[in-house]
Amino acid sequence: MEIISTVVVLVVKSLIFILGMFLAAAYLTLIERKFAGHVQQRPGPLHVGFHGLLQPIADALKVLTKEDLVPNNVDKVLFYLASLMAFVPAIMILAVIPFGDPIKIFGFEIKPYITDINVGLILALAFGSISIYGVIFAGWASNSKYPMIGGLRKAAVLIGYEVALGFAMVGPIMMAGSFSLREIVQAQEGFFGAFIWYQPLAFIVILFAILAETGRTPFDVQEAEAELVSGYNTEYSGMKFGLFPLAEWYIGTFVLSAIAVILFFGGWKGPHIFGAFSPFIWFFLKVFMMFMFFLWVHWTLPRYRVDQITEIAWKVMLPLSLLNIFITAIIIMVKG
Amino acid sequence: MELSVVAFWILSTIAVVSAIGVVFFKNIVYSVLSLISALIAISGLFFNLGAELVGALQILIYAVAIVVFYVLVISTVPQYKGEAVDPKYALLSAPFGFILFLELAYVSVYGLWASNTGIFSPDIFQQISNAKAVATLLFTKYLFPFEVASLILLVAMIGAILLGKKDIVEDEEGGA
Repeated sequence: MEIISTVVVLVVKSLIFILGMFLAAAYLTLIERKFAGHVQQRPGPLHVGFHGLLQPIADALKVLTKEDLVPNNVDKVLFYLASLMAFVPAIMILAVIPFGDPIKIFGFEIKPYITDINVGLILALAFGSISIYGVIFAGWASNSKYPMIGGLRKAAVLIGYEVALGFAMVGPIMMAGSFSLREIVQAQEGFFGAFIWYQPLAFIVILFAILAETGRTPFDVQEAEAELVSGYNTEYSGMKFGLFPLAEWYIGTFVLSAIAVILFFGGWKGPHIFGAFSPFIWFFLKVFMMFMFFLWVHWTLPRYRVDQITEIAWKVMLPLSLLNIFITAIIIMVKG
Repeated sequence: MELSVVAFWILSTIAVVSAIGVVFFKNIVYSVLSLISALIAISGLFFNLGAELVGALQILIYAVAIVVFYVLVISTVPQYKGEAVDPKYALLSAPFGFILFLELAYVSVYGLWASNTGIFSPDIFQQISNAKAVATLLFTKYLFPFEVASLILLVAMIGAILLGKKDIVEDEEGGA
């Protein structure tokens, strides 16, 4: 009996998280398109619904009903598998992200997270890095030169920045004394308790790493339209194509922004001015701010060259994050 | 049945089936894919045992950081080369395979009757976290092997840099 109830609760919770993420991702595309439009002095989606409010639904219908072209010489199994391999790990990170402390509604204790595992942060890092295979295998299975180059470029970028990201996260972990995302939030008390004041170096490294991991513009060499057509997803069409940007640009950016907010901005903490739901509102406000920051960077800056990207990863970001660990360790030793 | 027992059988089935796939797939990209699957299933087994830190690191380091380099190399190999099978290597690998089998058999039979003799009993484990237990052992009992391992990795890294270094080509005027 206990097994069944556990499984049912977990399944329902996961479904809510996944469906919520899908809806959120759909509307994040609208936000991005509107934002990009206004940055480039054009209105963006305007005609479907009020100021394009129904555009994501129209897009979803279009992508889902489009003819699904599979080129002749692709490796069929891997070709289909790759788009899922890029997408599923990105959404699996949601399992370890807490959206708030447990709340009580009508006597039921509702926990706004799927699991509060002790090593949540490492697991998030692990899931995030598994999605690299989706990109590489998409490039390989397409059996075409641009996807191959795109996939290999993305792999080179990810390997470099995954290391820097992992080491940069060590700073906040050392200050909180735990890998658990909830305990990291609880360690940040008040406005000046947020780790951004103590770990600015780690924050800068993590900003670069998130931009690189999600393939947003200063680092989007994997699909550099001018050189590679569209990179690793050139041969894809229909929803299989849609899953890549959905996973990388929206779900990936959203989830990593949430992790950055938890690590540096005190997660869901904030003044209780919105009543019972204020933790959620604060959390989503902060994540939204982070997300908009990434959009801002994406739509204003030009692209780095491939060699510059790997050079920044190994010669600047990695030493900076190691230096940050060193300084943090000394400060913790001195303060006791 | 308990949930952990169900999880054990599912995960170990996946691990064994994918391990067989690693050996028998003719297409090397498929076999590296089943290697990833086996490694992830093994990390699931670690989670099932309550060793969350080892499980998470298993995914991060083995399933991604190490195998990704295999994938990088393999995906640049032309397909016909990957599918070529040379029978003389199969013959050569038989004795090594047998030795490996004997070693694994010894370890598993030995482990079957070994009991938990470490200082971390399940009770202590509940109080301190996984990371603390691993770190305590790593920096006390296994400090020397740990440091030696890091030295070996440093040597390997220097070797790799030497191998990958470009030779400085002098042009005809003698400049670098």
